[in-house]
Amino acid sequence: MFRNQLGNLSRVSSQLQRISRVELMSTEVQPAESANSVINEFRTAVTSPGEHSALQLAKFYKIPAEEKKQIFAGGGLPKQYEQQIKTFTEACLMVRQPALELLNYIKNADLSKPAVRYVIYGDNGVGKTLTMAHVLHYGSLNDFLLVHVPWAPNWTKRPKESTNSSTQEGFIDLPFDAAAWLVHFKTQNAKLLQKLQLKTSKEYVWSKRESTPAGATLVELIEHGIARIKYATETTAALISELKLLSTGGQCKVLVAIDGFNAFFHPITRIFSDNKQLVTPDRITLTQPFLDITKYDWTNGICVLSVDKIAMTEGYMDSYMPRYLLGKTGFEHLDPFVPVHVTNYTDKEFLSCINYYMDRHWITKTQPGFEEQLKFMSNHNPYTLMQIVRGL
Amino acid sequence: MSVYPQHFVDPIINKSLQKEKAHELSHIPIKPALNVSTDSIFYGELKQKFTNYILKEGNSALARELLTKTFEIIKRTQIERLHLAKGDKGSIITDAETLLINAIENTRPLLHLSAIKRGGVKYQVPIPLTEKKSYFLAMKWILEAAREKERKVSLPEKLAWEILDAACGQGRVVKRKDDLHRLCESNRAYAHYRWS
Amino acid sequence: MALRVFGLNIIKNNRNILQNVGKTNGVPTNQGAAAALYATQVTVEAAPAAVQKQKVSKAMKSYLKRANEHDEFMKTQHLEFQIGKRHLANMMGADAETFTQEDINEAISYLFPSGLYDKKARPTMRTPDEVFPARKAAEFDETGRPFHSMFYTAKPNFFQLLHDIVEETNKLNDLEERMLRRGNKPDENQKLETAGFQLLPKEHLERVLVEQIADIEYQNFSNSMERLIASPYAYKSKAFIERFLKPLIDQSKQLEVPKPKIDEQGRQYITTYECLRKTARADVTVRLPGTGKITINGQDISYFSVEQSKEQLLFPLHFCDMLGKVDVEANVEGGGTSGQAGAIRWGIAMSLRSFVDQEMIESMRLAGLLTRDYRRRERKKFGQEGARRKYTWKKR
Repeated sequence: MFRNQLGNLSRVSSQLQRISRVELMSTEVQPAESANSVINEFRTAVTSPGEHSALQLAKFYKIPAEEKKQIFAGGGLPKQYEQQIKTFTEACLMVRQPALELLNYIKNADLSKPAVRYVIYGDNGVGKTLTMAHVLHYGSLNDFLLVHVPWAPNWTKRPKESTNSSTQEGFIDLPFDAAAWLVHFKTQNAKLLQKLQLKTSKEYVWSKRESTPAGATLVELIEHGIARIKYATETTAALISELKLLSTGGQCKVLVAIDGFNAFFHPITRIFSDNKQLVTPDRITLTQPFLDITKYDWTNGICVLSVDKIAMTEGYMDSYMPRYLLGKTGFEHLDPFVPVHVTNYTDKEFLSCINYYMDRHWITKTQPGFEEQLKFMSNHNPYTLMQIVRGL
Repeated sequence: MSVYPQHFVDPIINKSLQKEKAHELSHIPIKPALNVSTDSIFYGELKQKFTNYILKEGNSALARELLTKTFEIIKRTQIERLHLAKGDKGSIITDAETLLINAIENTRPLLHLSAIKRGGVKYQVPIPLTEKKSYFLAMKWILEAAREKERKVSLPEKLAWEILDAACGQGRVVKRKDDLHRLCESNRAYAHYRWS
Repeated sequence: MALRVFGLNIIKNNRNILQNVGKTNGVPTNQGAAAALYATQVTVEAAPAAVQKQKVSKAMKSYLKRANEHDEFMKTQHLEFQIGKRHLANMMGADAETFTQEDINEAISYLFPSGLYDKKARPTMRTPDEVFPARKAAEFDETGRPFHSMFYTAKPNFFQLLHDIVEETNKLNDLEERMLRRGNKPDENQKLETAGFQLLPKEHLERVLVEQIADIEYQNFSNSMERLIASPYAYKSKAFIERFLKPLIDQSKQLEVPKPKIDEQGRQYITTYECLRKTARADVTVRLPGTGKITINGQDISYFSVEQSKEQLLFPLHFCDMLGKVDVEANVEGGGTSGQAGAIRWGIAMSLRSFVDQEMIESMRLAGLLTRDYRRRERKKFGQEGARRKYTWKKR
């Protein structure tokens, strides 16, 4: 099983090397940063992710408050990170190698070709979600329509409400979750939807009295889904198929970002049907459109997916490798994809992080040798570091 | 009752203390270091003691987690205050351990009342406390105040409030100490019963 | 005492040469003097030959009878021992003349294998001198008059000793007073060094005195000895004090530090097997030079989810300033988190000894890193709720 996966990885990595070599050259050409943009050794003034390069590596950049509110209002940052943002009174993200690598791929991608899937993977607490957040920020600043699922396992593990689907026999609807997602989509893309004025291509008939005519704006479609929670799931499906059509038609660019994507292929959920039987994710109507949009049969789009051990249930957390987490069906669904490995902090990143914490008064004990101690206690793991530092 | 023979001596982790006693102990076997003791920079004796008082039913991981959370809440509130403060930012302490130590020092009683029977009558006699006992009482009181809460409020939250209050000389615990001192003051007439 | 028969003494000496095995109850050399003072009249193997009958008191008579019986008994015991030894030697196919006590022990454990746990309960064959402890000789003359003024205390040797100690102390006190008056100070260079010594333990002292003493009496002895040692002029009566001191083993040199081996990459390494703590068991390998990589059962330090266990692992490394300079590999099984961390901690500390100087080893010892923690869970007892806790008492 692992050999199979390695084979796939090597196939992709040879492709990647070609790209990265091009990238290296391009960074050399870039002009040196102007003096005022460098604040100090752990901060950078370059707030646009599109301009980040190896120069800003291991430095923190600030996400402006409105942008943070627009993109991450409905989730997308870990809960503890949100708390930290509140305490530090600023939203800062570290520019890290995996995010830069991903941004390079995206910037150089040929959008007229079928959508490329990038899979972020790595051990617990290394910063997969924050890497995705970095990409999302880039997407929102560069006129991508964001199709963002903050944490997919929420739907399979703790759905708000589940009902039997009215249209598809034997399927389960998650109307509240679908409506919540629609709200999230709306807030993320409000400005862009206003600007692009995208229209629906066909009429959607919800019931005898309700329907959305062809040529209605997408905003109307979304509004309907939010207002009539019963049809939220179908609205989601309609919206996503519309987006696929529109982007293939070249009217918009779409950035799909799904955190915990492997939850869609994990057979164990916490949803039960009427006769107390376990419902697998492929019997949930809400997963269908998102599986559909991660196929490569459309253009003008990018898929950034992350696979996570925590998205699985107990007993299925042996490895963090995509092949293991996605299983056979999931892997075949995504194949070929570009893997992006997120690792623990490097020494430089670690020191920069410590400096940042000290700057925000988060670490107050600074006897000689404390960095060393923290380094070995946390083993460079960002999340563990956060956990240890909070109690000092 | 210890498994070690009586001539075994407790370990000394501090290197400067070791130097003083090295000659004396060179021929004496030492007990192994406990699994809570380290020479880590972040180790605090009072902090460790306080963790032990939080401990219930041997769940030391939980006790430690609770104290960590308490410290986190303290730090968050203090940093918030720091950001809100206009001038005079130096006076706000953001180090949670310092605050805990301050709180304990502020709530340490000097005297306590003990019942002594003289001539068939029990008198409440003020008696000075040893240092160890006074530290114990201070920590116990802070914890008691924190555990006396509604079900909805978590222990770390309440404990953080109590510590923050006590650190600036306010709150229920400091009041309890003052009450005890006042009582001792009013019973000073009986003080001679301690020895007569 | 003039009451010995010399011929028998010679036999005894010869036998001692014959079995040139050290007697376990024999006194070490520095206590020889003490033994000489208080235990000269220890053994009696001979009965006085010519004693005028009319003058002998009843006490003496009964003593002589007992002594004779004992002598006879010991003689037969010795003979039996010699015969037994010969038999053993024959069985083992060895020469009886050169058959030593060690050979006897070996033969016994071979011929009579025993599964009994306590070594004292297993079959042995030792010389009668060891098996039957020495007895005091008569402490009174033929007329029944005791030799010693403290005979009627029943422990004359012990009380004599206390007496001597107090005498010494008084002497030193007088000396101190005189010196003080003269304005002299005690010589700092000659100060008595007692750090590496210990007072004779009770059993040892009993053997020296040939008297059984009670705990409280031993306490009195140690108190008065301490008072004597505490005197600033204690070095003046050094000879006296040293008779009752026992040297302690130097703890830091007790365990031999292993030499590091060299692995394929040319790095030094030490493997410590059998690191035990609670029910956990670990093998720890420490490699120098390294980058501070820690591998536990193939995982990094995140193998332990509890913060305390991680701290425990880093304790010896940080203590010796070796954090980031060595690599640690550990295989651990059994037990819980805390036990496993403790086992690895001990393993790391033990292995690190090969890479640090003697001073640091001593420092680690003082920090309690090199002592094995052999505390275990205490068993529950019947009739009790747990190991110590009793059931709630109910009147009915």
